[in-house]
Amino acid sequence: MNIGVLAKASIDPNMVRADSEGNILLESMPLALSEYDKNALEEALRIKQEKGGKVIVLSALTWGPTSKRLREAEQVMREALAMGADEAHLIVDEALIPGNPLTTSLALKALVEKIGGIDLILTGEGSMDTVSYQVASRMAALLGYPVATFARRLELLDGRVRVTRDLETRLETVELPLPAVISVTGEINKPRLPTLLQIRRAMSKPLNKYTLADLGATVEQAHVEVKEMKLLRVARKQVLIEESDPEKAADKLIEILENEGILK
Amino acid sequence: MIDVRALVLAYPSQSALDAIGFAQRASEQVSITVLTTRGGEKYSYRGVEKVIVANVEDPTPDQLAGLLEKTFSSYDIVVAPSSKDSTDALARLSALKNLPMFTEVNHLEPSGDGLVVTRPVIAGRAYVTYSTRVPAAFTVAKKAFPPQSADHEPDVEEIEAPPASMVRVGVEEKKFSGVNIEDAEVVIGVGRGFRKKEDIAMAEELARLLNGAVGCSRPITADLGWLPEDAWIGISGKRIRPKLYMPIGISGAPQHMSAAIDSKLIIAVNKDKSAPVFQYSDYGFVIDLYKLLPALIEKLKQRKRT
Ligand SMILES: Cc1cc2nc3c(=O)[nH]c(=O)nc-3n(C[C@H](O)[C@H](O)[C@H](O)COP(=O)(O)OP(=O)(O)OC[C@H]3O[C@@H](n4cnc5c(N)ncnc54)[C@H](O)[C@@H]3O)c2cc1C
Repeated sequence: MNIGVLAKASIDPNMVRADSEGNILLESMPLALSEYDKNALEEALRIKQEKGGKVIVLSALTWGPTSKRLREAEQVMREALAMGADEAHLIVDEALIPGNPLTTSLALKALVEKIGGIDLILTGEGSMDTVSYQVASRMAALLGYPVATFARRLELLDGRVRVTRDLETRLETVELPLPAVISVTGEINKPRLPTLLQIRRAMSKPLNKYTLADLGATVEQAHVEVKEMKLLRVARKQVLIEESDPEKAADKLIEILENEGILK
Repeated sequence: MIDVRALVLAYPSQSALDAIGFAQRASEQVSITVLTTRGGEKYSYRGVEKVIVANVEDPTPDQLAGLLEKTFSSYDIVVAPSSKDSTDALARLSALKNLPMFTEVNHLEPSGDGLVVTRPVIAGRAYVTYSTRVPAAFTVAKKAFPPQSADHEPDVEEIEAPPASMVRVGVEEKKFSGVNIEDAEVVIGVGRGFRKKEDIAMAEELARLLNGAVGCSRPITADLGWLPEDAWIGISGKRIRPKLYMPIGISGAPQHMSAAIDSKLIIAVNKDKSAPVFQYSDYGFVIDLYKLLPALIEKLKQRKRT
């Protein structure tokens, strides 16, 4: 039972940089392993403990410039390996930058086929930077596999997987034959933190890099163009009140509510 | 772009008008086909050319994708309201037809022979504007595109739904409280700083005293189930725009705060001086909520009495 985990080196939304006009300074924002992809990885590690096999991390670099981002992306792969994945495979190709779900999925599909023998593909419900919710469904359609999105419970049966999908108005339990693609929610588990020893060991695990040509894949060039990316800014007063006496703090809060017209 | 042909997936059908409003804005000359499922035909589709009704009541996403594939031919755009199943179905179609797709679009302008669309990015802290060719697929943000009314009576056609390949073995409906945080003037936000479910009574009491509603962060509802999901504030929950938002015991993750950006006034309570929530706030009280809330509630009650 080999499990592929789609893991993205995402822009860290906690580290936003913008110029005085609000234009996002993408190149000075660091990449990190996307939050919910950690849940996907954790789920894969849990299944591996039970059923054996390998956990294989699959990724495509979608932020440039590649010269600067390559090291960061490798770092993210090392983090996934430190959590317990067996090997990592990373596609680095200018044609995939800036990424969009269409080109990213085509590249990852080619990678899955190149590696072969993957029975289950897991990923997070959405990446923490672009949050498009598309890649799992696109991958499944391209590979001809069934897909279940927003899984908050996952159980492996004989040749099938049983998944509880967390939808807007209900929890829906479904069964799919393998191979399948599943996206997981942040609630499915609590991702482990790698130990120091695991971090050191991750350095010697396989990390393979590919161009699209290595995979025999091509992606159609830019019919989608990013015109601008801007920070949403609202001026806030940012007054900090460090009053440790609850009575006085409460008085102060009520005074603010009165001055601001909330309390009449 | 002139003469845009739009295919609208009316699923969930009660949100279809969001997607129709988007399609109406794609061009001066737009003809819209609505694809719906049984029961969806009871909604009025204003100004739409044609309504296609599939003979399935509770479709699985693979059935929706199959229906889209069957109907998709010469359309320039495919549009759906933002929901988990419609996004899944549109993404599958997009992969098979090699379409670019944009989720939760909140702005649209026709441009040359393509479209210019805007959507949130970086956990909602920023927006990105794309120009895209057509054909392309879109899911639209709630209420972003109010539909224009028109009188046209659509033709109705029926279509056979493909069999479901995803097997449902169980369904559990979620319970909601009916609280409307989207339109509330005051919202009290409950976060992981609350240690037990019972302690949320303090937030509820405060909300009562300020004529407000109680909302919460994702873990409070999705993980712990301490509040129903209609209280969920954030990019994967509800957007709020009250006069006052009070996040209490909430760290201020971008995924939470960007959905509260339209609040007039934000007053945060957090015992950690370095909590990011303070960067998003007008006033930040650095204090233990378990100390502040009882005192605040007592004083507000007194104030009411006098
Ligand atoms: C793709 C994606 C989508 C997401 N969508 C959402 C979303 O829609 N909504 C959402 O909320 N989150 C969302 N999240 C999760 C988000 O990143 C945070 O994990 C979450 O908002 C944290 O919730 P919290 O602030 O309640 O908890 P925590 O981050 O644990 O914060 C608790 C806070 O309480 C404070 N505190 C503790 N005790 C006290 C006390 N006694 N008195 C005062 N303060 C105290 C602490 O200092 C801390 O700051 C999303 C994440 C991702 C990756």
